[in-house]
Amino acid sequence: MVVVAKVWIDEDCITCDACQDICPEVFSVTDETSQILAAVRVDGQFDRNTQGAMLSGTFGADLGDIILEAAEACPVEVIKFELATDGAPAEAEAPAAEVATEAPPAAATTAVAGVSDELASLLSGDRSLSIFFGSQTGNATGLAEKTAKLAANYGLEPTIIDMDGYDPSQMASMKRVLIITSTWGEGEMPDNAETMWQSINSGNPSMSGVSYSVCALGDTSYDEYCKAGHDWNDKIQSLGGSQIHPIQECNVDFEPPWKIWVDQVLPRIACVDSSGTFLENLLEEMEAYGSGDDDDLVEGDFTPTPMNEEQLSITLEIFRYQPEHAHQGWDTIECQVPAHASLQDLFLNVQHNVDGSFTFRRGNYAGSPTTGVRANGRIVLSDMTRVDALVKNGGVLKIEPLPGHPIIRDLVVDMTHFERHRSRAEPWMRTDDRVGEYLSNGTAMGTMESSTALALHQMNSVHSFQYLQGMSETLPHDPHYEGPGIHLQQWIRCCDPRTGQKQRQILLQSLNDVDGVWSEADLASIARQGKDGVIASDALHRVRAALLGEFKYAGKHGRLVKWYGRSVKWSGKVNETTLYRQVLGPLGLVSNVFSGVSARMMLAFTRNGGPPIRSLQALLLPPAGVGRIPNMFNSKVDDHHEVVSIFNELDQRL
Amino acid sequence: MAKLAYYPGNVARAGASEVEDCIQPLCKILGIDLIELPKASSDGGNIIRQTSQKLQDSLVARNLALAEEKGLDIVTPCATSHAIMAETALTFRNDPVYASTLNNLIARHSKIEYSGESKSWHLLHYLVEEIGLDKINDLVKNPIGMKVACYYGPNMQREGCCSGDDPFMPTYMEQLIEALGGTPIQYDSRCSSVGTPALLSLEKSALRMTADVLSDAITNGADLLVTACTLSHQNLDSYQTKAGKVTGKNTSIPIVHLTEILAFALGVFPDRFAQLRTRAKLIGS
Repeated sequence: MVVVAKVWIDEDCITCDACQDICPEVFSVTDETSQILAAVRVDGQFDRNTQGAMLSGTFGADLGDIILEAAEACPVEVIKFELATDGAPAEAEAPAAEVATEAPPAAATTAVAGVSDELASLLSGDRSLSIFFGSQTGNATGLAEKTAKLAANYGLEPTIIDMDGYDPSQMASMKRVLIITSTWGEGEMPDNAETMWQSINSGNPSMSGVSYSVCALGDTSYDEYCKAGHDWNDKIQSLGGSQIHPIQECNVDFEPPWKIWVDQVLPRIACVDSSGTFLENLLEEMEAYGSGDDDDLVEGDFTPTPMNEEQLSITLEIFRYQPEHAHQGWDTIECQVPAHASLQDLFLNVQHNVDGSFTFRRGNYAGSPTTGVRANGRIVLSDMTRVDALVKNGGVLKIEPLPGHPIIRDLVVDMTHFERHRSRAEPWMRTDDRVGEYLSNGTAMGTMESSTALALHQMNSVHSFQYLQGMSETLPHDPHYEGPGIHLQQWIRCCDPRTGQKQRQILLQSLNDVDGVWSEADLASIARQGKDGVIASDALHRVRAALLGEFKYAGKHGRLVKWYGRSVKWSGKVNETTLYRQVLGPLGLVSNVFSGVSARMMLAFTRNGGPPIRSLQALLLPPAGVGRIPNMFNSKVDDHHEVVSIFNELDQRL
Repeated sequence: MAKLAYYPGNVARAGASEVEDCIQPLCKILGIDLIELPKASSDGGNIIRQTSQKLQDSLVARNLALAEEKGLDIVTPCATSHAIMAETALTFRNDPVYASTLNNLIARHSKIEYSGESKSWHLLHYLVEEIGLDKINDLVKNPIGMKVACYYGPNMQREGCCSGDDPFMPTYMEQLIEALGGTPIQYDSRCSSVGTPALLSLEKSALRMTADVLSDAITNGADLLVTACTLSHQNLDSYQTKAGKVTGKNTSIPIVHLTEILAFALGVFPDRFAQLRTRAKLIGS
């Protein structure tokens, strides 16, 4: 089997669509050229991939043969690829190896043996590096993270520091400092750097032992280009700091100049020893050390999944349902299976060799949305989940249909509910008329912030909205609840700046409706279901935060969050009495009295003989019958004002 | 004697005070010194997170930093609290930029920072991995002698929150129950949610979910159900009659928290244990 590590498109594509027809999972042909889809790439970009980003996950293995077929079929031979097995490009031209600089620390570590004694001595001392960022839109933050990753190649131990509220006097004791800051408005500091800037100007701490350099982001269309960065540069220099490398200005396209800066500044600052002395004689060796041996470099975070040829002996328990007899039960099959086989391979084997009537949905081995099942409690897509990820040798593998859907037969479920709700929820793109922006050559240009595009891409990267529905444990108990798969789609549209205001309001209202996002009883049950579950759960938490702000904590859910927060703010603890009273109201409390809830709480009948006086006390405290809470009355955590001030700084609505 | 900072969770010193009653003596017996964190606040219970992730993370990181200041890990009897702390610690490890922002904020208000050294333990994981089942078994004075359904809930049954246990096929509590002289029963709903976060605001769904877990345990022959979460414990216990009325299912089963059954087996509160056995064997709820 051929495993393709990366694939890219050279210039002069004639957009004949041949590659897309052969391998639509990888190639998409636009009006201009064929491009490599974001879904199969580790960098998540959608372009010709001339940067040479690796194929993500098992795409290279799963689709290797088809990619080669597409390359052979290309009439102008512009599809280039690199095989994982031989480690060298299959074609003459290799893609630009920009990401190769992001080698992990291991690459550097392995080279220690070959360095001079003097460099070894330098590397064994204090290697701390502080990377400060001042950021308004997240660009400087992203560069700080990238800088930190690269710094590890030079044996540095980077710490990223948000300038927000940081005490600049601590900077004076540091030996190595890098500052990456944008400029906001007319030459102003970004919001998170303002306080620290004021502090350093009022305190003027000595920076005599600090080696530093500044990377300044700006926009030449403003008068005060990169002013914040220059301010920091001048200030630290005036306080006695040693500029280890000149300030780098970066215009709107900030990555290329940052790259030049970081490639030059890191080896230099890495040559600063524990006493703060710059050892220039080691610079050349440090540069070689940091760049490492190309053979050791691993691009990006790509780690090929190992092929495990081990045979697993497992007990397979499969849920079966025959609609013609309305009969359901479990088939138990003792079987041997290669550890790296997918669930779908296993199902096919059962169908071919055990029971031809066994029914399941098939996929294309790349995460087909409708192949969701529950396997040993996990919600997974059967065409992309390996058996050894679910069960060990000798274990039991229990397979059930995707929860939350009516069962048609065996593992095939009816997704009508999902489609009906999706149709009603209308998570479609509806834009308002808007003014476009154009490049100088007249081509229309997208204006989406990179951080917004990244957030949208991450939310869209879940493999299947259908199987998200199966992750909700509330859905089977509430037939009207639309489900997390629907709500995530609606939220993605809400976050998309191209969505019109009217459509956004409609979507928000729909999310807040009675069958909306508040109908999910416990997002923890979604969050535990792997990466896609975490993405959905995090997004749905953000939906709730947005709705609370939009609708001002209205309704029971709003009251619950508001009074929970307030009770914590007021005492540092949760006050259950406040919660019950504010959220349930008098009718709810009366309902609890008649349904036996209050009795079980108050009388301690089920609480194993706790001191009865507590329960009697609870009877006397308003509102009566809400729980045994007297211990916490009038008590607060020590130094409670610290909690209050954190609340006041972060969310004054509570 | 092992020293651990103690975080009781949101209700162990309020509505679920039986947890607090039991954890103190049982830890003394097991040689665990619980160090109070008098400045620790609520962790937000994943409710505050619904309005501000940053606010909840700040509260949690402050609590972790308080433990770190004393050079201690944190132990808690609440699965939800443990999961919240473990998740925040993980976020700090994976996102140094966000960690730095929160640390600056905490440092401004409390003069402390969380570096990531202190970690959270759920009591269950600490007992199995650090104290050892053999030692616990040696200390048992009153073997449980009942069929026990172990309830983990969904919060801590996820990667990074359940120590060495399997997130979806856990065995730690079953092993512990066996060490205490009980017989764990197998049932599917061990890690299912009972809708605790929405109990007050979405009662019908929460009650149906609660009833499913309870009836599943009863159907599989349990005499009582032991929970690892103080919040779910309240839910399963106080609302079980109501859950039975709403769904028509049999939900009558005694509910105890893990700390209670441990304390009883180690010889603490023999009168309460006797009462529990009576309820389980004769009354059944």
